[in-house]
Amino acid sequence: MTLLLGALTLGLILSLLAMGVYVSFRIFSIPDITTDGSITLGAAVAAVLLVGGTSPIFATAAGALAGAVAGALAGVIHTRFKINSLLAGILVMTALYSVNLHVMGRSNVPLLQANSFATQGERLGQALFGAGPLHVLGWPVTPGDLAVLTLAFLAAVAAGVVLYLFFRTDVGTAMRATGDNPQMVRALGADVDRYTILGLALSNGLVALSGALLAQYQGFADAQMGIGMIVWGLASVIIGEALTGTRSLGLALAGAVLGSVLFRLLVAVALRWGLNPNDLKLITALFVFSALVLPRLLARRRGGAPAA
Amino acid sequence: MLELQGLRQTFNPGTVNEVRALQGVDLTLDEGSFIVVLGTNGSGKSTLLNAVAGSFFVDEGRIRLDGHDVTRWPEHRRASLIGRVFQNPFSGTAPGMSIAENFALAARRGRARGLGWALAPDLMGALRERVAGLRMGLENRLDNAIGSLSGGQRQALTLLMATWLRPRLLLLDEHTAALDPKSADQVISLSDEVIRRDGLTTLMVTHSMAQAVAYGDRIIMMHRGQVVHDFRGAEKRRLRQEDLIDRFDEIRRREQLDEGAAAMLRELYV
Repeated sequence: MTLLLGALTLGLILSLLAMGVYVSFRIFSIPDITTDGSITLGAAVAAVLLVGGTSPIFATAAGALAGAVAGALAGVIHTRFKINSLLAGILVMTALYSVNLHVMGRSNVPLLQANSFATQGERLGQALFGAGPLHVLGWPVTPGDLAVLTLAFLAAVAAGVVLYLFFRTDVGTAMRATGDNPQMVRALGADVDRYTILGLALSNGLVALSGALLAQYQGFADAQMGIGMIVWGLASVIIGEALTGTRSLGLALAGAVLGSVLFRLLVAVALRWGLNPNDLKLITALFVFSALVLPRLLARRRGGAPAA
Repeated sequence: MLELQGLRQTFNPGTVNEVRALQGVDLTLDEGSFIVVLGTNGSGKSTLLNAVAGSFFVDEGRIRLDGHDVTRWPEHRRASLIGRVFQNPFSGTAPGMSIAENFALAARRGRARGLGWALAPDLMGALRERVAGLRMGLENRLDNAIGSLSGGQRQALTLLMATWLRPRLLLLDEHTAALDPKSADQVISLSDEVIRRDGLTTLMVTHSMAQAVAYGDRIIMMHRGQVVHDFRGAEKRRLRQEDLIDRFDEIRRREQLDEGAAAMLRELYV
C-alpha cells in the first residue's frame, strides 16, 4: 500500500512536469530539453530557500519562477538568435547544470530538517487523523502519507484548471495558435517570437514547480535529478493521449495528469516485479520511441496496401 | 491610402539564384479603391503583396500606409492595418482550433491581448450571425476544428476573419487559385460583396483574366518586377479579356524582339 501511495503521489507531482512538457511539445511542437535543467533548478532554488528557513509557499514559487526565467532564456536564444529549438534547449540545459551546482553550493541538499510542504502535510495529517495508521479499503495507511497525497492531488488539479483557463483567454488562445499556424498568427497581428518565449517560460515554470515539489516530497535536491525528465514527461503525455484522446484541450490536460500517474504506477509495479532500476530510463526511451513511431507504421500499412 | 515609392527587392543577391523580384515599383492606391494585380509567373506580383504585408523588408523604397511610414514595421505590427487572405487555404486558419477560436484571434487583430475570455458571449453571438451569412451551414459547427473543413469553406472563413475588424487595406493573394471552380466562384463573389459593403481599399493578386475584368476598379499589369500597364476608370470598365491577352502577347513579342535584336547585334559586333 505504501508503494501504491508513493507511486500515486509521485505521479501527481510529476503531472506538473507532464503538463509543462505538453505545453512545449504538443502546443509549440518543440521538444524542449531545457526541461531536464529547469526541473533541477526548481528543486535547487526551493531546497536552498527551505534550508534557509523560507516558508514553503514562497520557496516553491521562487523555484517555479526560476524555471520560467530559464525557459524564457531558451525561447530568446531560439527566436531572437535564430538557433534551432533543440540546440537552444541543450545550451540552456548544459548551462543550468553549473547554475544548479552554484545555487546549491554542492551536488546534494538534504531537506530532512527543513520545514517543507511534506513536513507540513504530515503534521496536518496527524492533527486531523491522529498518529496511528488509518485503514483505507482495509489497508493500513499513515495519516501523513495520505495528507501529502491529498496536497499533491490538489496541486495537480489546481495547476490543470489554471492552465486550462489560461489557454482559453486571448493570450492563451494566441499562444496555442502560434504552435498551430505561426503565419496566421503574424497576419492577425501577434508577435510569434514573443508568444514562443512566453510559452517556453510557462512550460519550464510548470516543470520547475514540479521539481520544487518533488524535492520536498523526496526530501532532497540533487544535481543529477533532472536527467531524462523530458522523456518521462513525454511518456506521460503520450500515455495520456492514449487514455483521453487529443480532441479538446481539457481532455488533453486531464490526460497528461492521468498519464503521469499511470506511468508512475507502471514503473512501481515493474520495479516490484524485479526490474533493474538501472534499466528504467532505457525502457522509458524505448517506450516513447515506439509510441512515436507505431502510429506512423500502422498508417503506412493501412494506407500503403492498395498501392503495392 | 497606400503609397509605394521605388520598391526594389532582390532575392539571393550575388548567387546563381539571384532573382530581381521588384525593380522599382511606384504605386498609389486611393481610399476605397479595389485594384487587381495581374502578371505572368515570376512577374513579382506576389512579392509586391508580401512586401506590403511585411513578410520581408524591401531593399529599397518606401511604403506608406494610412499616414504611417510602415517600411520598417514588422509584419505583426502592420497587421493592425492590414487584413490578409493567402493563396493556400491552410495558411489563413489554425487547423487544430475551432472556428470560434480562430475568430476570437481575428477579433483582436492588432489589439492588445490580455487575460480576457477569448470566446466572449457577445463575440459568439455576432459570429453565429456573420457565419450564417455565408450560407454554408457552418454556424452550427463553430466548435468544430477548422482543419475538418474544405478549402473553399476555410478560405471563406479566412476572408471573414481578415475583414472582421475593418482593415485599412485588404490583401488578397490569388486567394481562389487553389480552389475548385465552384468554390472559387463562391469565394470571389463573397470577397466582392464584403469589399463593396465595407468600402475596403483592396489589393488583389490574381492570374485569372476573367476575375480581373469582372472585379475591381483598376488593373495593374506587372512584368519582370515592374508595373507595365495601369488601366483605370472608363478604360478599366471597357476592358475585355481579349484586350488583356493582347497586352500579354505584346509584352511577349517585345521580349522576343529584344532577344532577337540582341542576337543580331552580337553577330554583327562580337
